[in-house]
Amino acid sequence: MSVKYIPVQWNTNKWIYDIVLILSVGIYLWIFIEWGPVLLDHGKPVTPQIHNARAFGSCAFLMLTLILCIGPAARLNQKFLPLLYNRRHFGVLTLFVALTHVGYILDWYYAFSPTPKLEGVLTANTSFGRVLGFPFEVFGIFGLVVLLLLAVTSHDFWLKFLTPRLWKRLHMLLYPAYAALVAHVALGALQDQTSPWRAIFILFSAGGVTALHAAAFLKEARSETTVSLNDWITVCDADDIEDGFARVVRLENGERVAVFRSGESFSAISNACAHQNGPLGEGRIVDGCVTCPWHGFQYRVSDGCSPEPFTERVPTYNLALDGAKIMLNPDANPPGTPTTPVSLGENGK
Amino acid sequence: MTAATLLTIAEYWLIIGAICAAVFLTFGIDRIDEDARGSYIFRPLLVPGVMLIWPLVLWRWQVLERERDNWKLRHLPERKAHTAIWSALCLVLPLIVLLGLAVRQTPPDGAPIKLEEAR
Repeated sequence: MSVKYIPVQWNTNKWIYDIVLILSVGIYLWIFIEWGPVLLDHGKPVTPQIHNARAFGSCAFLMLTLILCIGPAARLNQKFLPLLYNRRHFGVLTLFVALTHVGYILDWYYAFSPTPKLEGVLTANTSFGRVLGFPFEVFGIFGLVVLLLLAVTSHDFWLKFLTPRLWKRLHMLLYPAYAALVAHVALGALQDQTSPWRAIFILFSAGGVTALHAAAFLKEARSETTVSLNDWITVCDADDIEDGFARVVRLENGERVAVFRSGESFSAISNACAHQNGPLGEGRIVDGCVTCPWHGFQYRVSDGCSPEPFTERVPTYNLALDGAKIMLNPDANPPGTPTTPVSLGENGK
Repeated sequence: MTAATLLTIAEYWLIIGAICAAVFLTFGIDRIDEDARGSYIFRPLLVPGVMLIWPLVLWRWQVLERERDNWKLRHLPERKAHTAIWSALCLVLPLIVLLGLAVRQTPPDGAPIKLEEAR
């Protein structure tokens, strides 16, 4: 969160995050490279270059698996939110690990290629018509290109410039990329050994990611209320909302509205943070502002504006009380429009 | 299409992207984003991104220049696609792994025998 763009927004928490991340990657690679030949019991001897390529390749795949697990894990349990906080640095580091893997592959298998190395990768195997012996490299190339695209568009400028919606669409390419990388491993490295460890590694990775996303989807579907777009819609009883927290309402058109309670007053803003469309409704009000649980952006719930000097704004919604029931006008006000909070005892409808 | 042609197209794509990056990051960005005015050090970080998605950059640039941005879309997360993609991946990922396991071969036991020894 800054008024002017800077190259990388680091703070103490992000430094700690990055140091832990880099140390973890270093420890994984050290264990794999030093102890891998003994632990993995290679079916046939491999050169140090191939072994290093496997170390970096498996590390990148594991990192990507963890990245994909963080989102649903944070939705299932807020204890995982700190992992989400700096996930973009995680992604960029994954790209560098993957590029090192590619470097070892190119420098070993294509070192004496009569054509340029990249051309060699694309022409060495063109047996696209069969499963066993399929040129699994194409899956890896697709995954690498997507990782590159995501890393180079990870700066906050891109979020604002492209809009969070378009940025997310672009970054959803990570999902087919992950499927491609599972295929890259399943039809590549998995075919090279009889050891069960790689099969177990892939099964747990792909299975874990799938199961977590399914569980998060089911939890979210159960916790939200969907309402049709009438003139005014009933949200819930005022007492159903805990002080300082919100009730999220999903409108028929897909918009999500977070109705907040602050003492005896109620206000409604868009559930989507202006930064990365994080779930504001999962945040808590402190000093009249709600903090986005993803990256800490703050908004006043009365007008949807970030406190000075920040300039982010989200749409607001008009509320009214019908007895003890909170009523919502589903027509969003433009971002940053002040509204009058409704209080218990009033009937503003 | 040969691999060489594919790589040549990629090369030209990146060259056009580099030209777009030079123009956009020198003149355009100040016109459409107030937070970028007076900030220069972060701009080189954007060069690779512009080079890769320059058609998208040009389209967004003209939308913002003409003030045709739809503010409602900024606050409408893309959730339907997310659900659809993961519903598909729940089927596709296990299938890929099973396919990999199904075609897995068992190599012959023992070390390879040299031809001279076999004779």
